[in-house]
Amino acid sequence: MRSRRRATVIACFLAPSLLIFIVYRILPLVWNVVLSFEYWSPLHPATWAGLDNYQEMLQDDDVFWLALWNTLIFLGSQPVAIALALGIALLVNSDLKGASVYRTIVFLSYPLMTVAVAIIWHWMYNERGGLINYALRQLGIIHQPIAFLDSFAWALPSIIIANTWQVLGFFMIVLLSGLQNIPPHLYEAARVDGAPAWARFFRITLPMLRPSVFLCLVIGMLNSFSAFDLIYVMTNGGPGHATELLITYIYKQGFVSTRFDYAAALTVAQFAILLLLTWIAHRAVGGNAGAIE
Amino acid sequence: MRKLWWRHAALIVISIIMLAPFYWLLKTAITSENIYEYPPHLLPVRPQLFNFVDVWYLIPFPRYLFNSIVVSLIAVAGNLVLNAMAGFALTLPFVGRRSVIVLLLSCTLIPFQATIIPAYLITAHLGLLDSYLGLALPLLSTIVCIFIFKASFDAVPRSLIDAARIDGLGEMRILLRVMLPLSTPAIATNIVLSFIWSWNNFLWPLIITRSQDMQTLPLGLARFLSYMEDTTGALYAFVVMVLAPGLLVFLMAQSAFMRGLTTGATKG
Repeated sequence: MRSRRRATVIACFLAPSLLIFIVYRILPLVWNVVLSFEYWSPLHPATWAGLDNYQEMLQDDDVFWLALWNTLIFLGSQPVAIALALGIALLVNSDLKGASVYRTIVFLSYPLMTVAVAIIWHWMYNERGGLINYALRQLGIIHQPIAFLDSFAWALPSIIIANTWQVLGFFMIVLLSGLQNIPPHLYEAARVDGAPAWARFFRITLPMLRPSVFLCLVIGMLNSFSAFDLIYVMTNGGPGHATELLITYIYKQGFVSTRFDYAAALTVAQFAILLLLTWIAHRAVGGNAGAIE
Repeated sequence: MRKLWWRHAALIVISIIMLAPFYWLLKTAITSENIYEYPPHLLPVRPQLFNFVDVWYLIPFPRYLFNSIVVSLIAVAGNLVLNAMAGFALTLPFVGRRSVIVLLLSCTLIPFQATIIPAYLITAHLGLLDSYLGLALPLLSTIVCIFIFKASFDAVPRSLIDAARIDGLGEMRILLRVMLPLSTPAIATNIVLSFIWSWNNFLWPLIITRSQDMQTLPLGLARFLSYMEDTTGALYAFVVMVLAPGLLVFLMAQSAFMRGLTTGATKG
């Protein structure tokens, strides 16, 4: 009797959250797959399309490949940011005076609204009023101002720098807490054995940091697939499609051209790539994905 | 000793690079007249605060602010109630508990961005486009936060719970009277995380709002940039007004804040 009542209570406690996840996570996942095999738009009833959407994506759509390539470049920038963050974490991880001040400064940009970050950097890159062109010209590195965000060569790297500025502090904090969990006696033992500093770093620090690095990689990956806000505000994918990512392309196909069916196929492709990459990262860092939780 | 000096020098350079965009933003926000003057002045010339006044005339700032606050309040309230209930249920033994946990963990692998098309269609079917509830609905419960509550509840001594049961308290009362009062850090983390996620959210409101009356602050910022171009310092004053409250809260409660953000890093 009592246990049945308890079962009802448990069901009621879980139901609202589960309902939200089923309606806004699982159902969309299934719906995306179904939609990707159909011709469908809000005004036309659905008809079976077979693999047409996928065929168009893989064979006829150059922008898809460009967006995929850009997304992979964005992704490739994340390990660089993680390495930078590791350098900073090593610098502030000691009884250095004022370490907490430096930590705060580096972290300060992370919780900012990304749209605001985009506007700030849009301005930083400005040809006349921007600090970057001004500083580069003062230093004699360039002689003509560069329109970074309108340039096919510079637009994507510029956005990647803005993104790195925002996430650096987050990576640093994750790595820092990883560093602080390494038992000090390991270093003492190594020192007694006469291991030089670089050996202590490669033999103790890096292997012990694996879970933290894996966490950073996964977050960095999700972040590259979702850097929508920055791109939308700074370049809207332009010039041409030079800064188009999969997510911005999905948005445009779905909500600008109202091609929901094709956008669904793009989403399925994006999701498959994301899963594949998560699995690769998991293997590369040597397992222990449980560390995320 | 020499080593310490070298570290400070490196960290000071890094700090300057990290702070430069903040400085440039503030400088532009208080610059009068032509922000396109070349060469730009490193220090503000004749600093003034007109731009901050202009913001109120150029755009419906109070409306954006109000919308952002309403949506964030709904999201925070939903997260507290739903996550605490779900987290508590997961600490109790029941048939299928394992599969529920596996289901939740696999949901964390589905990023919100991979759901936008159907999520939009579902919200349209529910008739919630362009409404506060529709804006907040997908954010009402977060998996990471459920597990934060669960971990906190798991740490409550069994003897205390058993004593409460012997006294005849029902599950609801145990949650309210025993568990929650002992879980203030988890509650704080939940509030901070759900507030930030909802406050900073851009893609979802962009998709489901139709009228300007329902737009939130991030949409207001993007709209300002695309309609007015960046020809006026008022845009940067607007950015300062949007960022300042959050930054102040962050600086006051930074240690709790950093801990909260890193625990919830995976965004459920």
